[in-house]
Amino acid sequence: MIIDLVPNEDQLAIGNGVRDFLRDQLPVSRLREESAHGGAAEQAIWEGLAELGLFGLGLEEEAGGLGLGLPEEALVAKSLGEYLVSPSVLAQMAATHVTSDVALAGAFAVGNKRAALCGISGDGLLLLDADQADYALILGPGGVSLVESVSLGEVKKRSGMDESLTLSRSALPPIPTEGNQAAASRLAILVSAYLSGIAHAVTEMAVDYAKVREQFGQQIGAFQAIKHQCADMATRAAAAEAQTFYASVAFGEGLDDTSEAAAARLLAGRAALENGRANIQIHGGMGFTAECDAHLFLKRAHVMTALGSDPATERRRILAT
Amino acid sequence: MEVIRSTALDQFREECRDWLGEHTPRDSRPLEGEAMRDFDLSWQRRQYDGGWAGISWPEKYGGRGASVLEQLVWYEEYARASAPASGTMFVALSHAGPTLIVSGTEEQKSRHLPTILMGEENWCQGFSEPGAGSDLGSLKCKAEIDGDHLVVNGTKIWTTYGDLAVWQELLVRTDPDLPRHRGISWVICDMRTPGIEVRPIKAMSGLTHFAQCFYDNVRIPLSNVVGEINGGWKTAMTTLGFERGTGTIAHQIELSNAVDHLIDMAKSRVGGMDEAVAADLAGLKSEVLALRSLTVASVSRGRREEVPGPEGNIVALYFAELARKVHSYAFDLLGSEALDRDTGNDWPLHYLESFKWGIGGGTLEIRRNAIAERMLGMPRSPRPVELKK
Repeated sequence: MIIDLVPNEDQLAIGNGVRDFLRDQLPVSRLREESAHGGAAEQAIWEGLAELGLFGLGLEEEAGGLGLGLPEEALVAKSLGEYLVSPSVLAQMAATHVTSDVALAGAFAVGNKRAALCGISGDGLLLLDADQADYALILGPGGVSLVESVSLGEVKKRSGMDESLTLSRSALPPIPTEGNQAAASRLAILVSAYLSGIAHAVTEMAVDYAKVREQFGQQIGAFQAIKHQCADMATRAAAAEAQTFYASVAFGEGLDDTSEAAAARLLAGRAALENGRANIQIHGGMGFTAECDAHLFLKRAHVMTALGSDPATERRRILAT
Repeated sequence: MEVIRSTALDQFREECRDWLGEHTPRDSRPLEGEAMRDFDLSWQRRQYDGGWAGISWPEKYGGRGASVLEQLVWYEEYARASAPASGTMFVALSHAGPTLIVSGTEEQKSRHLPTILMGEENWCQGFSEPGAGSDLGSLKCKAEIDGDHLVVNGTKIWTTYGDLAVWQELLVRTDPDLPRHRGISWVICDMRTPGIEVRPIKAMSGLTHFAQCFYDNVRIPLSNVVGEINGGWKTAMTTLGFERGTGTIAHQIELSNAVDHLIDMAKSRVGGMDEAVAADLAGLKSEVLALRSLTVASVSRGRREEVPGPEGNIVALYFAELARKVHSYAFDLLGSEALDRDTGNDWPLHYLESFKWGIGGGTLEIRRNAIAERMLGMPRSPRPVELKK
């Protein structure tokens, strides 16, 4: 078996189409306004996102999706990371693969039912942008589970580290000890793609800034202390992306899906965090302000790295091969 | 981004596997000297006889003319069979040969390409000088035209297997008045020419794999210039990165095996693997997988682009950093056990040798410059001063 990692023409068209849409409709600068927080900007154009086919990209056509594969979903998830789109969109894509109820999967695909991304935290559940959600998509140690929001009991708003998301907490609902493991690997790959999108976006942001900011009479990007950091950022982003896309193509091909996906998640998390920090440093004083978008990327990288992550299990998967 | 299913490739893989399974040398490769070279030459000859020599070379010049995907399959199977790296044949197969194919005259090609493929003659590289390492463009080794010959005076250093090679791809300054990157010529140098002295240099690992070469009025026929006289920089640059990283796949697999070995060792310890060690090893294992993925991505691009882009520097940087990390981690993990070289797996040798990956063929710093300037379009560092005569 040979794996090809360059997007084909159809994949390029999908990737570019989604990126153009997001650049236009959901630029990162939207998050400078509180009114766009908590997925509000996404909710406002929900029908548009559904029409684009984002939610049901990987669902079979008979069930109401586009019938594409995990590589296409991963390409799109990378763009979602680049534009810090609400994790609910990822949850929506993943939910179509978790439920065995075809009608429900179709409802997720067209956006009639909404899912929110959730992770177990201590003895409770952490929910992201879950105000409008009909279902909680829970990343648990045994796999992914889908739980109706109404069964969660009291859901309390919390003040989150990433203020551009709505964070809330509930008691842990009863979830099956054996969740959907295949769907968990799929979701791990989508989260990796999202994180590698962040890693890529902050590299671009740092490079662009280093090309215009001048000190000592020249662009700071001419100094090796800056350009070498940028080269390392690009390398980390490239490795995270290559591993994520490899895992997305290899998925279901009889290779060890879980270890490829776990490796992708580990490296994409590291790349997003390390690049997110380096981006702040390269922006200097501006990078430390709330006006600069750099902090938004770092905060989101932390959320997506930590949520539903179970490092001990992931390590075992990586080391099992 | 897809799985390529091809019966032709599957058949090709089977063919590779069968041949390699039967013909890969079983005796271990000598670590140094003429015995090592003779081992490499005879392995090359065996591949030639089997029709596998010059896997990436065009058929017109006696190569296999394999597609990029076939090359990938070949190197995967090559590694699976634990076939030996090209070693003392590396420069001839991966650099000098391809350079002659692109820039050589028909006469130069017919003289040298067959002897390379048949494993009759090996090559070394004469690029770096004591004063021209990362700043290769400042090289000073001088060649003056005297009738139909060049007369070379100067020195070259870090010449890998310089004492074991028959031919050398030599960069010399043929016009000191031209700007630094012009005025350089790429010359085929016969290492047996009078006036050449080769002094082997012992590396920190204890191995003697490279040398310094001294040239005292060495006469080289002008017909040995490859490409234009004073056009040697261009000749050299055309084929840099020719192999798209497929040439290092064997080393990547060695690295992957080293990590698996460390994992097995940690698992078999009394009390098993603790969480801190598991975290470190999971990180290294993930990076090995990502290195493979980066190489697959590079090969994928190679199917669509004629000329390799600067992305090759990312694979090289990632590989070099990882090689050092893995081997220094072995030391952390093994503690004082790592000091004993007679344990069956020579960690000190591999650890000490791993430093070469971030220096030879472009230091980590030069690769970072290339990634930043050529891939990310960042401003160039201040221009170097003009070469002083």
